[in-house]
Parts: sequence; C-alpha cells; structure tokens
Amino acid sequence: MNAAAAVAMVAAGQPLVVSSFLEWRAVARELLVHDVAPELVTWNQVGVLDADLFSGAPDSAPSVDNVPAGLTPTKPAPHIPRALMDMLQSAACCRVPDRWAFLYRVIWRWQHGEHDVQSPADADGARLHAMVKAVRREEHDMHAYIRFRERPIEAGPPQFAAWFEPRHDVLPQVAEHFKHRMGGVTWMIGTPEASVMWDGASLHHTGPLMSSAADLDDAGEALWLTYYRSIFNPARVNAQLMQSHIPSRFWKNLPEGAIVPAMVSNAELGARSTGQAQAVGRKSGATIPIAPADAQPERQQPSKLDECRRCDLWQYATQAVGGEGPKKAQIMLVGEQPGDQEDLAGKAFIGPAGKLLDRVFEAAGLERREIYLTNAVKHFKWEPRGKRRLHKTPAQREVEACHYWLDKELASVKPKVIVALGATALKSVIGNGNAKLGESLGKAIRHEDRWVVTVYHPSYILRVPDEEAKHQAFKVMVDGLKLAQSLLERPPEEPPA
Amino acid sequence: MKLSDKLEILADAAKYDASCASSGAPKRASDGNDGGIGATTGMGICHSYTPDGRCVSLLKILLTNFCVYDCQYCVNRRTSNVPRARFSVAEVVKLTHDFYLRNYIDGLFLSSGIIQSSDYTMEQLVAVARTLREVHHFKGYIHLKTIPDADPLLIAEAGRYADRLSVNIELPTHDSVTRLAPEKNVHTIKLAMGSIRRKLDEKAEEPKGPSFAPAGQSTQMIVGADASDDQTILNTAETLYGSYKLKRVYYSAFSPIPQSPDSVPLAPPPLLREHRLYQADFLLRGYGFTAGELMPAAGNLALDVDPKLAWALANREHFPMDLNRADAEMIARVPGIGLRNAKRIVDLRRLRRVRWEDLSRLRCSMKKIAPFVVTADYKPAQGLASSDLLRRHLGAPQEQMNLWPELKAA
Repeated sequence: MNAAAAVAMVAAGQPLVVSSFLEWRAVARELLVHDVAPELVTWNQVGVLDADLFSGAPDSAPSVDNVPAGLTPTKPAPHIPRALMDMLQSAACCRVPDRWAFLYRVIWRWQHGEHDVQSPADADGARLHAMVKAVRREEHDMHAYIRFRERPIEAGPPQFAAWFEPRHDVLPQVAEHFKHRMGGVTWMIGTPEASVMWDGASLHHTGPLMSSAADLDDAGEALWLTYYRSIFNPARVNAQLMQSHIPSRFWKNLPEGAIVPAMVSNAELGARSTGQAQAVGRKSGATIPIAPADAQPERQQPSKLDECRRCDLWQYATQAVGGEGPKKAQIMLVGEQPGDQEDLAGKAFIGPAGKLLDRVFEAAGLERREIYLTNAVKHFKWEPRGKRRLHKTPAQREVEACHYWLDKELASVKPKVIVALGATALKSVIGNGNAKLGESLGKAIRHEDRWVVTVYHPSYILRVPDEEAKHQAFKVMVDGLKLAQSLLERPPEEPPA
Repeated sequence: MKLSDKLEILADAAKYDASCASSGAPKRASDGNDGGIGATTGMGICHSYTPDGRCVSLLKILLTNFCVYDCQYCVNRRTSNVPRARFSVAEVVKLTHDFYLRNYIDGLFLSSGIIQSSDYTMEQLVAVARTLREVHHFKGYIHLKTIPDADPLLIAEAGRYADRLSVNIELPTHDSVTRLAPEKNVHTIKLAMGSIRRKLDEKAEEPKGPSFAPAGQSTQMIVGADASDDQTILNTAETLYGSYKLKRVYYSAFSPIPQSPDSVPLAPPPLLREHRLYQADFLLRGYGFTAGELMPAAGNLALDVDPKLAWALANREHFPMDLNRADAEMIARVPGIGLRNAKRIVDLRRLRRVRWEDLSRLRCSMKKIAPFVVTADYKPAQGLASSDLLRRHLGAPQEQMNLWPELKAA
C-alpha cells in the first residue's frame, strides 16, 4: 500500500493492509511523524481475510491529497536504533494475527521515550523478545531438520528436493542459508505457502509447488539410517531427552523418525547393558594378534627430570624444564621457575622474562650462549585466573625438593659465579630459606667456593608499574651481571670491591 | 565389505567420543565457482538427536577400528573381539559429501584406531581432510582427532585443514592412564596439547598466517572407568583449560562394553554424575568459578542439587543478594540466574529499579531464586532458613533406597 496515504486512511477509519516488513516500516514512519496513537490504527495482513469483521476492504483508498485538516506532521522523523529495528524485522516474520499492530505499538512507545519497551523485563518487550526467539528458532530448526532427497538424474534439475512445514515466515532467509551451503548443486524447498528453487546461480521464489514430501527413493537415506542406528548408544537410552530436543511436529518429515520407536523399545528391552549396536554385536569379531611389547609406540625415553615426583607440581605442568647452556659455563644464572611459555616449549627463559633478560645481557656486554641458564624449581607452579595461568611463587618445600636437580647441575657445570635472580633463587642457591633479597641485592657473597651475585628477577621489572623503579631495577641487573663477569678474573680470596 | 557394513561398524566404534560440536569455525560459504560445497555459520547446527538424547551434528566415524593399543575401557582395543573394518579415504569423502548434501550433518569428525604407527595413522587422517578441502573444496566443518605421539609436523598439517583438533586425555589421572591405557602416556598427550596451543598462539599473533584449527582444541575424559572422584576430575579439567586454552573438556560416562575386561566396571553409565560434571564445567568456563570453589573437598558433586545451588548453599554469606546493587559477575552466581539474565538485569537497572515481577518476565527460575535475591519490592522470608532446609526444598526429591541394586544394574 501507499505509505503516504496511511494517515488519511486511519482518519477515514479504514484498516491498513500490509504484506511485508518494508511496507510496514514505511507506513509506521508516516504514522509516527503524524503522532498517530496505536489505538487508532487497524492493521490487516495481506491474505488474512476477516481479521476485523466490521472493516470491509475499502473500495478506493483515499489519496494523499485529501489528508484531513489537523493531520500535519507534528513529530520529527523517528530514529530507531539498529538493534531494535533488527528485532522488529525478525518479529515481523512471526505468524501472529496482530503482528503489525503490535510492532507499531512497540515503535510508538519507543518514540515516546519508553525505552524499556526493548527490555525483556517489560511486558511488550517480553513479547517482542519471545516473537524474535520463535522466529530465530524456526529458522534454526529449518536449517537443522530439512532433509533433501536426491532426484533421479533423468528428471533434470533440481538435483535435490525437500519439503518443510515452517510455523513462521522464514523461507526467504532460510533459502539464503542453503544457497551458501549447497554451492553449485541445484535444489528446491517446498512449503505449504511458498517454494524456492536454486539453479546453481540464483534463487527463484514462487508460490506453492509441492503439497507434501517428495516420494523419492533415495539410496543415500538408507546409509543415513544405518549411521543413525549405529551412532546411538543403547546403554544411554533417554527418549525423553531426545524428544525435548526435537519438537514432535518435525519427526514425521525426518527419515530417522520412522525407526526411532523400534530403537527405543529394543534398548529398553535389554540391549542397554552395553553401548554396542545390536547389528554390530551379531557380526563375527576378531582380536588383533600383536604382542604387547610390539604395540608400544616408539617414543623418546622420558628424562629422569621429567619423571621427578619429589613434589606435586608435575601434575599441573606440561613438562619439567631443565637448565641449558655450555656444559662448562663459568657463569650460571638461576631463576625461580619456568613460566607459561617455558612450560609449553620445554626451554628456559623464552617467555617475556627471557626476552627482558636478553636485553640485560646485551646491556652488560654478555652473550647468552656463554651462560648456563636454569631455575631453582623445574616445574611451573601456577593458579588459574579465568582462562590464564597465573604464576605462583613456589613454596619452600618445593624449592628444597627441587634442590636435588640444581645440585646435580652445579656439580656437573662447576660454574665460578652464580647469578641468583630474585629471592627464590637466592634461597635455593645458598640453601637458606630465610635469606632476604634486600640484604644481598647487587652484592657478591662467597658460598661453597663460589661467588653468588644476587639481582632482581626480570619478572620484577615487568611487574613493577613505576617507570623510574623499572629503570633502577634494570640497572641493578646490568650491574650485577657486570660484577659477575669481573669476578671471573678475580682470585677467590680477594674480596670484591 | 559393503560400504554400509563398514559404516555400521565404524560408527558404532566412534560413538564413545562425546563431542559432536560444530561451532566456532569462521564463517565460510560456497559460491559454486570452485565446484565445492559447504558453509559454516560459526554457530554449529545439530541436525538430529538419537534416542540417547545426544545430538548428531557431525558424521562421527573411525577411519578404522583396527587398533594395536589395548586401552581397557575401549571397545576397539586389540584384545576385543569386535568386527573390524577400514574405510578408504575415498569412502569417507563420499559419505561426508552425500550426507552433507542431504542436510544430515554439518561436517566430519574423524578419529581412528592406531594402526602400524602413530605417524602412519595421523597421515591417514590428514589425507582425508586434505582431500575434502583441496580436491573437493569442502567448506563444512572438520574435526580431527589427533594422535598424541604423531610428529608435530603432521599435527601442524592437520590444523591447516581441520576446524578443530582434539587430543583425548582419556582418564583423570596419570596413574589411571598408566594402568588402563598402557600404550598411552599423559606426558606425550600434554606435549601434543601444548604444541597445538603454541600453534594457536602463533596464529593469534599473526592473523594473516596460514589457518590453524580456528575452532580450537578440545579433549575428552572418561568418567566412571576408574575410581577418580569429581574433585580430581574438575582439577584436571581446570589444569587443561588453563594450560592449553581448550575450548571444551568433554566428559564421557563410561558405557560398559561387550566382553568387558575385569579392570573396568560393569555398572551402567553414571549419567547424572556426567550431567553434574558438565554443569560444573560450564561454571568453570563461563562464570568465573574455580574448581576449588565448586569442590573444596575430596568427593563427588552432589546429585540432588546442581553445582551452582550447592555452592550458594555452602556460601550463604553472599546471599540474599541485592540485585539493584551487586555487579553482573556476582548476580550470575545466584542459582537460577544465568549469564544472559545477569546482563539483562544490569541493563535494566540503568533504566529503573529491578522488581520481582521483572525476574518473572526474564523467565528466571522463581522457586530457585526466591531465597537468594533482594529486589526493590522483595525480601526473602526464607533468607534465614538453614541451608539444609533450603536444600530439601529445592533439591531433587529423595528416592527410596533400592533394595536390590544389582538387579537394577543388570
């Protein structure tokens, strides 16, 4: 209908007849601009006769020119947010007799500042949400439960045909879905109200062409039923749950619908004791003659470190991360424990702290490959925070348990200088759980024939928010590494400057 | 052997993998130009449900159920006397194609018994995915089971074609895997998950790089085949979610198998327990609960009340909660109010105060929320009732003890 004539028709007491959302939208805008209250308007859906017994179809619609006096535009053009418009458009596909009147009421309330009309907690809002949900649900069900049957080649295109009885007006948007899904393969979908055909290049919408499901003998359907019978686990039979997922009106057009009752009763009669399909159980079976030793997959022997069970951390970690560097390095750097990245890769200092450490090496004039890098604790200790793993400081007992491995590394590498990164490393290296970072920071101390230099852990620099403190901590690390290097030249008896 | 016989055997062999999800893939469509078919909407579609109430979204089959491993809980173990079959690559491709065009499925979930070696088996799985994608330009969903001991290069290749990869953790503890799946190894399973996560991280950092499993990775744990309790199971799930950024952990209640070995139970599947684990898992993934909050002590999740209600009953200090004041995250912790309604309540608050009737229109479970919320016009009379009383009121009705549980189980 002509939107411009809408106001005049309302004034003349005539019903507005619309057939599509776009048409309704144009009319509704016109009415809103003239501030026509919803109670004054009667809406009819095209094709729905006698929606209002007392309003016969008008002989001739009033023309735009004879708008009665007093019906001049009084309101600015409405600004309806996109989200609400999308909801209205969806709700317009819902087959309820008063759909246009209801949508107009919603939009009129919005225009008058009642913005909670969009909330499901409002009475109209709740209905709007329910209508949108019903339509989306119908679209979804149609995506899910349409079953195409293949037509014989000699019948010509379309190659596939399906029949569906939708409860709402969703065929046009559902056709778009199948257009993308089927590519160049031709198909048609028939419903009681309309049909749509895809010729491989474009969609053709027509009136009803089919009146029921195509009676086609499709060999593909037998394979599907075989699959459906076999994928069912009779030990878990729960027909009620199945029924709750698929409303009963769909079953009659699903090929599997016909075999469900027998499957359910068989399962309930005793087949439920195991999960196997009956037909498979009847076939003859075979064990695989292979010796257990030959079945073992070839894999690298896990390292002794990986098999360490001295504390419980291994359970939550991917792998143990051992030290790495020259077998006879003069400087050994001891960190706290591997982090998230190190745990995944199995290599020490490759995450953000490792990258920062590289910058410290560079500033101190050292080469990473000349230094042996390891950690006081070899498994990553963490706690969940949302979907991430958050570093957690290892407990003293875990540090002590892991000392076994650090001792082995020390005995084999025999470094002249150990650089301890942070408090945990310091405690472990000097074997004193009460050692304080602040007391040793930046200093060299003599411990068991070696120099131990203590600096911050690079994570501290990443963590500390203050730029000045970051800078300061970086300097402490660089100076510490320089000190470590200078100690290599110094005889052990001479105290550091 | 006829194709239908193979399908019968290899679908039966695949049913114990719970996952059938087809969500999370990027949007894809076929325009017909490359001769391909298939589309993904990102949402995933369940095309049918079988009488066990499980959805059929993917064609879920094994490439073969010949298997050299001897996992005690598995119907396809080498010592099991089941009929054996093997699909060719072309047969799987044809089945996928034919089922897809009839709108039975959203794609393929392919797994396999271990034949010859891990690498050989993985190569076969990858060959199917490669053929579907590169020869037939199939754009539907593909989920590939990953063989943990396979070469990381093969896993990387699998990720190029598959939307989702999964490595099964199989059982909740290291010891159970060692005992019941002697050829499997938790260490290599975790390494495989770790290598997939690193690939996913790389892809996230370089979005223009080659595609890698855009729907992420998942895993499956069997519940009830060993003696692990729910606390152990949820801790393992939490460890896996945190470490490998899994999209999902699937819990599969152990179904008794024909000629069951003595090492696994003969009891019917613990379905309600499985259901409670899924509910708890949902709270871990979406609601910010930790495993420690849901299961502070050893044991299993309560069967009479859901895990969120159980948490609320054990943590009454948070309740009754004023819905006009609490933040969305806390509102979502109220039994009977989900994430979506929590957000809607907060949205509504910007317009006006929340009233009791609003909650009814939001379709909250009114009986359940009644003792736990305060609104502008409502204060619960039950607010001070003991947790025991509330539990009796809100939980499932008590069942009469079964005098002959053996008979019921048989």
